[in-house]
Amino acid sequence: MNRPVLILAALLAGCTPLLETGDKLERAITPPDGVNYAVTRPEGGFRLDTQDGRFASKVELLAVRKSTTKGGFTQVQFDLRNASFLRQTANFGFEWLDAAGSVTEGQRGWTPTPLEPGQITTVTAVALRADSAECRLRILDR
Amino acid sequence: MKHRFTLLAGLTLLVVGCETPATYKDPEGRELVVSLGKVDIQDFANAGNAMLQEMVKSPAFDRADSVPVIQVGQITNDTATNFDLSLLLSKITGPLVNAGRVRLIDSDPVASAARASTQGAAVPVPQYVLRGKILEDRANAGRTKQSSFVFQLALIDVRTSLQVWQGEKIVTKQGTTNAVGF
Repeated sequence: MNRPVLILAALLAGCTPLLETGDKLERAITPPDGVNYAVTRPEGGFRLDTQDGRFASKVELLAVRKSTTKGGFTQVQFDLRNASFLRQTANFGFEWLDAAGSVTEGQRGWTPTPLEPGQITTVTAVALRADSAECRLRILDR
Repeated sequence: MKHRFTLLAGLTLLVVGCETPATYKDPEGRELVVSLGKVDIQDFANAGNAMLQEMVKSPAFDRADSVPVIQVGQITNDTATNFDLSLLLSKITGPLVNAGRVRLIDSDPVASAARASTQGAAVPVPQYVLRGKILEDRANAGRTKQSSFVFQLALIDVRTSLQVWQGEKIVTKQGTTNAVGF
Protein backbone atom coordinates (compact mmCIF):
# COMPACT_ATOMS: atom_id res chain seq x y z
CA MET A 1 0.00 0.00 0.00
CA ASN A 2 1.46 3.38 -0.94
CA ARG A 3 2.11 6.24 1.45
CA PRO A 4 -0.90 8.52 0.61
CA VAL A 5 -3.33 5.67 1.21
CA LEU A 6 -1.69 4.88 4.55
CA ILE A 7 -1.82 8.55 5.58
CA LEU A 8 -5.47 8.71 4.52
CA ALA A 9 -6.20 5.55 6.52
CA ALA A 10 -4.52 7.05 9.58
CA LEU A 11 -6.49 10.27 9.20
CA LEU A 12 -9.79 8.47 8.74
CA ALA A 13 -9.16 6.07 11.61
CA GLY A 14 -9.58 8.86 14.15
CA CYS A 15 -11.88 7.69 16.92
CA THR A 16 -13.62 4.91 15.00
CA PRO A 17 -13.12 1.18 15.54
CA LEU A 18 -10.47 -0.46 13.37
CA LEU A 19 -12.98 -2.51 11.36
CA GLU A 20 -14.84 0.57 10.20
CA THR A 21 -11.65 2.27 9.07
CA GLY A 22 -11.31 -0.02 6.07
CA ASP A 23 -14.88 0.76 5.10
CA LYS A 24 -14.26 4.51 5.40
CA LEU A 25 -11.08 4.20 3.37
CA GLU A 26 -12.89 2.31 0.64
CA ARG A 27 -15.58 5.00 0.54
CA ALA A 28 -12.95 7.72 0.35
CA ILE A 29 -11.12 6.25 -2.63
CA THR A 30 -14.16 5.10 -4.64
CA PRO A 31 -16.57 7.36 -6.58
CA PRO A 32 -19.38 9.10 -4.65
CA ASP A 33 -22.40 7.01 -3.74
CA GLY A 34 -24.97 6.65 -6.48
CA VAL A 35 -28.58 5.56 -6.21
CA ASN A 36 -29.37 1.96 -7.10
CA TYR A 37 -32.84 1.02 -8.35
CA ALA A 38 -34.91 -2.15 -8.44
CA VAL A 39 -38.00 -1.92 -10.63
CA THR A 40 -40.75 -4.53 -10.81
CA ARG A 41 -41.84 -5.72 -14.25
CA PRO A 42 -45.41 -6.27 -15.49
CA GLU A 43 -44.49 -9.77 -16.64
CA GLY A 44 -43.03 -10.61 -13.21
CA GLY A 45 -39.56 -10.37 -11.72
CA PHE A 46 -37.56 -7.18 -11.48
CA ARG A 47 -34.89 -5.12 -13.20
CA LEU A 48 -31.81 -3.77 -11.44
CA ASP A 49 -30.32 -0.42 -12.33
CA THR A 50 -26.99 -0.19 -10.50
CA GLN A 51 -25.04 3.08 -10.21
CA ASP A 52 -23.12 2.12 -7.08
CA GLY A 53 -21.63 -1.31 -7.65
CA ARG A 54 -19.65 -1.14 -4.41
CA PHE A 55 -22.84 -0.86 -2.33
CA ALA A 56 -24.81 -3.27 -4.54
CA SER A 57 -22.23 -5.96 -3.79
CA LYS A 58 -22.64 -5.34 -0.07
CA VAL A 59 -26.41 -5.04 0.16
CA GLU A 60 -27.89 -7.64 -2.16
CA LEU A 61 -31.44 -7.78 -3.44
CA LEU A 62 -32.55 -11.36 -2.82
CA ALA A 63 -36.14 -11.40 -4.01
CA VAL A 64 -39.07 -9.23 -5.06
CA ARG A 65 -42.67 -10.31 -4.53
CA LYS A 66 -45.60 -8.52 -6.06
CA SER A 67 -49.14 -9.22 -4.91
CA THR A 68 -52.52 -7.57 -4.59
CA THR A 69 -54.13 -6.67 -1.27
CA LYS A 70 -57.73 -7.68 -0.45
CA GLY A 71 -58.81 -4.22 -1.50
CA GLY A 72 -57.17 -4.61 -4.90
CA PHE A 73 -54.10 -2.42 -4.36
CA THR A 74 -50.64 -3.51 -5.48
CA GLN A 75 -48.19 -4.51 -2.77
CA VAL A 76 -44.50 -5.20 -3.33
CA GLN A 77 -41.94 -6.67 -0.95
CA PHE A 78 -38.21 -6.39 -1.54
CA ASP A 79 -35.91 -8.74 0.44
CA LEU A 80 -32.40 -7.37 0.94
CA ARG A 81 -29.42 -8.84 2.75
CA ASN A 82 -26.25 -7.30 4.06
CA ALA A 83 -23.70 -9.63 2.47
CA SER A 84 -20.69 -7.75 3.87
CA PHE A 85 -18.73 -8.26 7.08
CA LEU A 86 -19.58 -4.81 8.42
CA ARG A 87 -22.74 -3.08 9.53
CA GLN A 88 -24.27 -1.14 6.64
CA THR A 89 -26.94 1.52 6.63
CA ALA A 90 -29.13 1.40 3.57
CA ASN A 91 -31.54 4.22 2.81
CA PHE A 92 -34.72 3.31 1.02
CA GLY A 93 -37.40 5.18 -0.86
CA PHE A 94 -39.82 4.20 -3.59
CA GLU A 95 -42.07 5.45 -6.34
CA TRP A 96 -45.10 3.85 -7.93
CA LEU A 97 -45.63 3.79 -11.69
CA ASP A 98 -48.81 3.22 -13.66
CA ALA A 99 -49.10 0.87 -16.64
CA ALA A 100 -47.77 3.57 -18.97
CA GLY A 101 -44.70 4.12 -16.78
CA SER A 102 -45.76 7.49 -15.34
CA VAL A 103 -45.03 8.14 -11.68
CA THR A 104 -48.29 8.12 -9.74
CA GLU A 105 -47.17 8.39 -6.13
CA GLY A 106 -44.25 7.62 -3.89
CA GLN A 107 -42.23 8.12 -0.79
CA ARG A 108 -39.71 10.78 -1.79
CA GLY A 109 -37.61 10.88 1.36
CA TRP A 110 -35.11 8.31 2.57
CA THR A 111 -35.77 5.74 5.27
CA PRO A 112 -32.48 4.84 6.98
CA THR A 113 -32.22 1.14 7.80
CA PRO A 114 -29.18 -0.18 9.66
CA LEU A 115 -28.31 -3.74 8.67
CA GLU A 116 -26.06 -6.00 10.70
CA PRO A 117 -23.75 -8.37 8.76
CA GLY A 118 -25.88 -11.11 7.23
CA GLN A 119 -29.15 -9.48 8.24
CA ILE A 120 -32.11 -9.71 5.88
CA THR A 121 -34.65 -6.92 5.81
CA THR A 122 -37.91 -6.67 3.92
CA VAL A 123 -39.06 -3.37 2.49
CA THR A 124 -42.81 -3.38 1.93
CA ALA A 125 -44.56 -0.83 -0.25
CA VAL A 126 -48.33 -0.67 -0.60
CA ALA A 127 -49.88 1.45 -3.33
CA LEU A 128 -52.48 4.01 -2.32
CA ARG A 129 -53.91 4.37 -5.81
CA ALA A 130 -55.55 1.65 -7.85
CA ASP A 131 -53.63 2.64 -11.01
CA SER A 132 -50.22 2.18 -9.34
CA ALA A 133 -48.97 -1.01 -10.98
CA GLU A 134 -45.18 -1.19 -10.70
CA CYS A 135 -42.84 -0.17 -7.90
CA ARG A 136 -39.38 1.39 -8.22
CA LEU A 137 -37.27 0.96 -5.08
CA ARG A 138 -34.40 3.42 -4.50
CA ILE A 139 -31.42 2.26 -2.46
CA LEU A 140 -28.64 4.55 -1.30
CA ASP A 141 -25.64 4.00 0.94
CA ARG A 142 -25.88 5.76 4.35
CA MET B 1 3.52 46.35 8.07
CA LYS B 2 4.07 43.83 5.31
CA HIS B 3 4.05 40.95 7.83
CA ARG B 4 0.85 42.24 9.39
CA PHE B 5 -0.84 42.36 5.98
CA THR B 6 0.27 38.81 5.17
CA LEU B 7 -1.02 37.60 8.54
CA LEU B 8 -4.37 39.36 8.01
CA ALA B 9 -4.70 37.94 4.50
CA GLY B 10 -3.90 34.46 5.75
CA LEU B 11 -6.41 34.75 8.60
CA THR B 12 -9.10 35.98 6.19
CA LEU B 13 -8.47 33.03 3.89
CA LEU B 14 -8.77 30.63 6.81
CA VAL B 15 -12.03 32.15 8.02
CA VAL B 16 -13.53 32.24 4.53
CA GLY B 17 -12.44 28.63 3.99
CA CYS B 18 -14.38 27.48 7.08
CA GLU B 19 -17.63 29.21 6.24
CA THR B 20 -20.46 27.45 4.43
CA PRO B 21 -22.70 29.85 2.55
CA ALA B 22 -26.45 29.20 2.73
CA THR B 23 -27.75 27.06 -0.13
CA TYR B 24 -31.11 25.46 -0.99
CA LYS B 25 -31.45 21.79 -0.15
CA ASP B 26 -33.97 19.17 -1.13
CA PRO B 27 -36.19 18.87 2.00
CA GLU B 28 -36.42 15.15 1.31
CA GLY B 29 -32.78 14.72 0.31
CA ARG B 30 -29.74 13.40 2.13
CA GLU B 31 -27.98 16.63 3.05
CA LEU B 32 -30.21 17.80 5.88
CA VAL B 33 -29.12 18.68 9.39
CA VAL B 34 -29.48 15.80 11.83
CA SER B 35 -30.17 17.20 15.32
CA LEU B 36 -29.72 15.17 18.43
CA GLY B 37 -32.03 17.21 20.61
CA LYS B 38 -35.10 17.70 18.41
CA VAL B 39 -37.30 16.10 15.82
CA ASP B 40 -36.02 17.11 12.38
CA ILE B 41 -38.13 17.67 9.29
CA GLN B 42 -36.90 14.36 7.82
CA ASP B 43 -37.90 12.52 11.01
CA PHE B 44 -41.52 13.59 10.53
CA ALA B 45 -41.36 12.41 6.91
CA ASN B 46 -39.74 9.15 7.90
CA ALA B 47 -42.22 8.39 10.70
CA GLY B 48 -45.21 9.58 8.67
CA ASN B 49 -44.30 7.47 5.63
CA ALA B 50 -43.73 4.37 7.75
CA MET B 51 -47.02 4.69 9.59
CA LEU B 52 -48.92 5.52 6.42
CA GLN B 53 -47.67 2.29 4.85
CA GLU B 54 -48.74 0.33 7.94
CA MET B 55 -52.11 2.02 8.13
CA VAL B 56 -53.15 1.32 4.53
CA LYS B 57 -52.63 -2.38 5.13
CA SER B 58 -55.20 -2.40 7.94
CA PRO B 59 -58.63 -3.88 7.08
CA ALA B 60 -60.28 -0.50 7.74
CA PHE B 61 -58.47 1.03 4.78
CA ASP B 62 -57.83 -1.93 2.51
CA ARG B 63 -61.26 -1.76 0.90
CA ALA B 64 -62.09 -0.90 -2.64
CA ASP B 65 -65.87 -0.72 -2.09
CA SER B 66 -66.03 2.19 0.38
CA VAL B 67 -64.04 5.24 1.40
CA PRO B 68 -63.92 5.66 5.19
CA VAL B 69 -64.62 9.02 6.82
CA ILE B 70 -62.02 9.92 9.43
CA GLN B 71 -61.48 12.75 11.83
CA VAL B 72 -58.26 13.72 13.54
CA GLY B 73 -58.63 13.42 17.30
CA GLN B 74 -56.21 14.33 20.04
CA ILE B 75 -52.54 14.18 19.09
CA THR B 76 -50.24 14.93 22.03
CA ASN B 77 -46.70 16.22 21.83
CA ASP B 78 -44.94 14.88 24.93
CA THR B 79 -41.45 15.89 23.84
CA ALA B 80 -39.37 18.74 25.23
CA THR B 81 -39.57 20.73 21.98
CA ASN B 82 -42.55 22.55 20.60
CA PHE B 83 -43.59 21.86 17.02
CA ASP B 84 -46.68 21.91 14.88
CA LEU B 85 -48.21 18.43 14.76
CA SER B 86 -49.37 18.96 11.20
CA LEU B 87 -45.72 18.32 10.24
CA LEU B 88 -46.45 14.67 10.99
CA LEU B 89 -50.16 14.48 10.20
CA SER B 90 -49.86 15.96 6.71
CA LYS B 91 -47.48 13.13 5.76
CA ILE B 92 -50.25 10.65 6.56
CA THR B 93 -53.51 12.37 5.75
CA GLY B 94 -52.22 14.18 2.63
CA PRO B 95 -51.42 11.09 0.53
CA LEU B 96 -54.59 9.32 1.76
CA VAL B 97 -56.89 12.21 0.86
CA ASN B 98 -55.17 12.88 -2.47
CA ALA B 99 -55.39 9.23 -3.47
CA GLY B 100 -59.09 9.15 -2.53
CA ARG B 101 -58.52 6.51 0.13
CA VAL B 102 -60.19 8.48 2.93
CA ARG B 103 -62.59 11.36 3.41
CA LEU B 104 -61.14 13.65 6.06
CA ILE B 105 -63.37 15.91 8.14
CA ASP B 106 -61.91 19.39 8.42
CA SER B 107 -63.29 21.63 11.16
CA ASP B 108 -62.25 24.88 9.51
CA PRO B 109 -64.35 27.73 11.03
CA VAL B 110 -64.94 29.47 7.68
CA ALA B 111 -66.18 26.23 6.12
CA SER B 112 -68.36 25.59 9.19
CA ALA B 113 -69.90 29.07 8.94
CA ALA B 114 -70.56 28.60 5.23
CA ARG B 115 -72.16 25.22 5.89
CA ALA B 116 -74.43 26.70 8.58
CA SER B 117 -75.95 29.02 5.99
CA THR B 118 -76.26 26.29 3.34
CA GLN B 119 -79.59 24.52 3.39
CA GLY B 120 -79.40 20.76 3.60
CA ALA B 121 -75.66 20.71 4.15
CA ALA B 122 -74.43 18.21 6.69
CA VAL B 123 -71.12 16.90 7.91
CA PRO B 124 -70.81 13.13 7.59
CA VAL B 125 -70.37 11.24 10.83
CA PRO B 126 -66.78 10.02 11.12
CA GLN B 127 -66.29 6.28 11.11
CA TYR B 128 -62.81 6.46 12.57
CA VAL B 129 -60.86 8.86 14.75
CA LEU B 130 -57.11 9.13 14.48
CA ARG B 131 -55.38 9.82 17.77
CA GLY B 132 -51.75 9.75 18.78
CA LYS B 133 -48.82 10.76 20.88
CA ILE B 134 -45.19 11.72 20.31
CA LEU B 135 -42.77 10.85 23.12
CA GLU B 136 -39.07 11.11 23.61
CA ASP B 137 -36.38 9.26 25.49
CA ARG B 138 -32.85 10.52 26.02
CA ALA B 139 -29.73 8.72 27.17
CA ASN B 140 -26.03 9.37 27.10
CA ALA B 141 -22.76 7.55 27.65
CA GLY B 142 -19.82 9.87 28.11
CA ARG B 143 -19.93 12.42 25.30
CA THR B 144 -22.26 10.28 23.18
CA LYS B 145 -25.87 11.41 23.29
CA GLN B 146 -28.85 9.41 22.12
CA SER B 147 -32.36 10.69 21.44
CA SER B 148 -35.29 8.49 20.57
CA PHE B 149 -38.57 9.96 19.38
CA VAL B 150 -41.54 7.62 19.54
CA PHE B 151 -44.46 8.30 17.21
CA GLN B 152 -47.63 6.46 18.19
CA LEU B 153 -50.90 6.56 16.28
CA ALA B 154 -54.13 4.63 16.66
CA LEU B 155 -57.32 4.44 14.65
CA ILE B 156 -60.51 4.10 16.67
CA ASP B 157 -63.83 2.82 15.38
CA VAL B 158 -66.34 5.38 16.71
CA ARG B 159 -69.20 2.85 16.85
CA THR B 160 -67.39 0.57 19.24
CA SER B 161 -64.49 2.69 20.59
CA LEU B 162 -62.26 -0.24 19.66
CA GLN B 163 -58.90 0.32 18.10
CA VAL B 164 -58.80 -1.10 14.60
CA TRP B 165 -55.19 -0.16 13.94
CA GLN B 166 -52.21 0.86 16.01
CA GLY B 167 -48.81 1.92 14.74
CA GLU B 168 -45.53 2.96 16.28
CA LYS B 169 -42.36 4.28 14.72
CA ILE B 170 -39.23 5.04 16.71
CA VAL B 171 -36.59 7.38 15.32
CA THR B 172 -33.28 7.07 17.19
CA LYS B 173 -30.32 9.36 16.66
CA GLN B 174 -26.93 9.02 18.32
CA GLY B 175 -23.74 11.07 18.25
CA THR B 176 -21.74 13.74 19.98
CA THR B 177 -22.82 16.74 17.90
CA ASN B 178 -25.42 17.65 15.33
CA ALA B 179 -24.35 16.80 11.79
CA VAL B 180 -25.28 17.34 8.17
CA GLY B 181 -26.56 14.45 6.11
CA PHE B 182 -26.52 10.72 6.61
